[in-house]
Amino acid sequence: MAESKKAGERKKTFLRRDFLAGSGVAIAAGALSICAPESAAALAQETTPAAKPSYAPSTGYIVYDSRLCWGCQSCMFACSSSHQGEANPALSRIQIIRDAPSFTKYPLDVVMAPCRQCVTPLCVQNCPTGAAHVDAEHGNVRVIDQAKCIGCKKCIQMCPQRPHRTVWNPYKKKSSKCDLCIDAPFWSKKGGPGGEPACVAGCPAHALKLVAEPPPQEDVAGYDVNLDQPRPKMPPRVPGTPMGKQPASKS
Amino acid sequence: MANGYTGKIARINLTTKEISTLDTAKYEEFGGGYGMGAAIFWELAVAPGEWDLKDPFDPRHVLPLMVGPLAATGVPGAGRTSVCGISPETFPTCEFWRGNFGGRFGTMMKLAGWDGVVVEGKADKPVWINIVNDQIKIEDAKDLWGRDTWETQDKIATMVGGRTRFGEEWQKFENNTYATGRPQIVCIGPVGEAKSRLASLITGSGVSARIGGFGAVFGAKNLKAISVIGSGTVQMADPKAILDARLWQMTGGGLVTGGFAPASAGSGSCNPCLRADRRRNVYRAGETMCVDQFWLNNPEKQGLGMSSTGQGDSERDLASEALMKYGASGWSAHFLGLFVSDIPGAPAFFHKKVPVETGIGWYIRYLHEIGELGPGKRIESSPLPMDEWGELSFRLAFLDAISKRVGIGDALAEGCCRAAQKWGRLEKDMESGALRFPAWGATGHWTLPSVEWAYNYMLGAGDPSWHGLVTAVGAPRGKTLEQSLTELSKKTIPYTDDLMMFNYVWKGDEAYKTGIYSPHKAKEVAWSRHYASFWNESMAFCEMFLPNLETISPEIEMKYYAAVTGKKDSFADTIRIGQKIWTLERAIRTMHGRSRQTEDLAPFMYKPGASGMTFWGGVPMYENGNWRSDEAPDMYLDRKGVDQFKTHYYALEGWDKEHGWPTRKTLEGYGLKHVADTMAKKNRLGV
Repeated sequence: MAESKKAGERKKTFLRRDFLAGSGVAIAAGALSICAPESAAALAQETTPAAKPSYAPSTGYIVYDSRLCWGCQSCMFACSSSHQGEANPALSRIQIIRDAPSFTKYPLDVVMAPCRQCVTPLCVQNCPTGAAHVDAEHGNVRVIDQAKCIGCKKCIQMCPQRPHRTVWNPYKKKSSKCDLCIDAPFWSKKGGPGGEPACVAGCPAHALKLVAEPPPQEDVAGYDVNLDQPRPKMPPRVPGTPMGKQPASKS
Repeated sequence: MANGYTGKIARINLTTKEISTLDTAKYEEFGGGYGMGAAIFWELAVAPGEWDLKDPFDPRHVLPLMVGPLAATGVPGAGRTSVCGISPETFPTCEFWRGNFGGRFGTMMKLAGWDGVVVEGKADKPVWINIVNDQIKIEDAKDLWGRDTWETQDKIATMVGGRTRFGEEWQKFENNTYATGRPQIVCIGPVGEAKSRLASLITGSGVSARIGGFGAVFGAKNLKAISVIGSGTVQMADPKAILDARLWQMTGGGLVTGGFAPASAGSGSCNPCLRADRRRNVYRAGETMCVDQFWLNNPEKQGLGMSSTGQGDSERDLASEALMKYGASGWSAHFLGLFVSDIPGAPAFFHKKVPVETGIGWYIRYLHEIGELGPGKRIESSPLPMDEWGELSFRLAFLDAISKRVGIGDALAEGCCRAAQKWGRLEKDMESGALRFPAWGATGHWTLPSVEWAYNYMLGAGDPSWHGLVTAVGAPRGKTLEQSLTELSKKTIPYTDDLMMFNYVWKGDEAYKTGIYSPHKAKEVAWSRHYASFWNESMAFCEMFLPNLETISPEIEMKYYAAVTGKKDSFADTIRIGQKIWTLERAIRTMHGRSRQTEDLAPFMYKPGASGMTFWGGVPMYENGNWRSDEAPDMYLDRKGVDQFKTHYYALEGWDKEHGWPTRKTLEGYGLKHVADTMAKKNRLGV
């Protein structure tokens, strides 16, 4: 994939969260500490590598460029608005966390946390009701059927990412996750693989992109790629003024 | 309520520790943000009639920090927080004024369930306000007082966030909701604690309310900080339409950026320089604006310019970091601006170096150059190392001196004009232009030849800091000036199809008939205030983001407004609300003492050398039947002309000719009979 190759050309800082992202089940136990500390150890034991079935890979993935992101949360508002019809970043299936006010320096000041549509989706694997499933009708996207969700939070507890990408809706007492806007009733565009997810379309920094090929799964670098592109230039003002300069900025 | 409002405003009395709520719906006719803040200020501070509104440090001072309905709805650039009240900064009197700040505080306020917070009274010891969703506590700030703004935010974030690890965990709240966000904190530093009139409110590394000196009001109230974190929901009338508008703006409706390249905005924050913001965050005080970045500009050593290298350790970077940590305003504590011009008869040091944006640092150097200020001089400069004026060490000494009020720092902490008054130089230096403060003791910012800017200084209480028209009337892109102005005049509802509004002719009879002293110019000034009062100060759109009158305004504003609020108002209706807010603001100033006689520009504005410089290709001039752009570097004002302008302007606004006070008819036309009644009791009603 072109983006990944470009990313490899750019020196990446290896973050603490990179270790967490790539280490699967063993890390899942730690991820429970906030949401459901009581069941962490038990769940980690339940899920063993030997039990891992194989799943058809998704045909859509959201990759991102953490260096381009402004931390403005446009994607989070777009996500909650398009799916729930209300503005609530806490319900967004993509989380962007900016370390304001602790003054961490760029590029470590923003953590981008979209769902990875994992090739081996532990959320699907561990769902007791089949609510979390691979949607064969929509390009094998990993989704959660709200009608089947019983709110057991196992998908949240088993998500290997930090922070977990499955999201708890405290009002409905159900889990949700990124569906690439397959089921986004407040979104005008077509979602799903090959479509335009709301977060991608609404990103003013062009820091998100929908791709078809599975990114390398080992660590964050497979998803955090180089998406930089030249900015369009504004046409010049009509000449003939004494100064004839363009403003570099304003104060 | 699916209209963008959360429905409630927190009212916190620091004297009695009473925490109550105000019903947002009561103030909805004023839009939000500043409009609501002004209405609340009228109700709680003016209408009772118990306070003369003179002393900003009086415990009776009511300080609203208000957010608009568009914040936290996905509408970009609309998350600014407005703060208004009696400004410690303005001179010679402390006037009713407002400032605002971006960052993420306003958005988080909405997500916590509040349309604003109103602070009254004075705590008997240092405190901070801790807002976690609907829970509000007044906390002891003993361990925070004396700390800089970064330490303060770090400590509060740790206290609020507990053990939640940044970027790795969701934080759980008492109402069983979760969020990954961090608390957003607005606070003061040592300069605010010292009640210096140069104090700003700081949030994040460098987002600040620079205008008004409201950091000193926090200090006077013993209020170190307000922290807010929320995990809630904001309901909108038509979420799909918001997303559609966003797409339209990004794809078919013009550039994402505003009139200026850096002006882009995101949904959960408002910092117009956000595009550059994160990349600037490689160095210190990354969120600061240009004014803070060129706070250390030594023309003899570094040349003039902004920090843009991103090296992180330049003296300029360190200076802007210090400015933010101390909590001083880059405007009020200004040294040299980015842009320079020449003034006839200026001392040699200032030849071709007179900054358009002047401030206290420039004045110190001026007094030093003429032998008035220095070690052992009439004005003792200790502890400032005057021979290091252009160095970082001087800036640090300056901040330390004003925050401790030691030596000359005590006078400087009171602001430039008050210091000049104490030193017996006020009249002389105002007359000569050594003190280049266009009106109300506010740091210079554009004014001439952008004359509508100068009039806004005078009619308000200082720097309007509103760039909405300066680019729109500049030399156009890809069309003639007349075509450009014709298109613009279709947008300035209700004052449409009057191109002479944009005529900046300043000499001769034409200046009085169609130029800068004419009734036409009054319309331009009025429209700028009415637009800004509603859209920028109350709907809280960053003024660097919108309007973009060359492309997508006002269509984009209206799309967002209708989608969030569900209101059927026309654009003309919104401008009318803006005029209502501006009139209420005028009523507050009238009660405070404003009149035609006290409303004037500084003497230097009436002399050659008053003009700074234009950008965007100059200002339009209509002469001999033709339009042309002219930089007008020699423009200055005529007293008789400005006086005539006041008459035209007051008539247009429905204020009386003698005093410039709103009349009963005008106020009742806006449904403000109660305001007229209160003014009548104090014999302040225009007739």
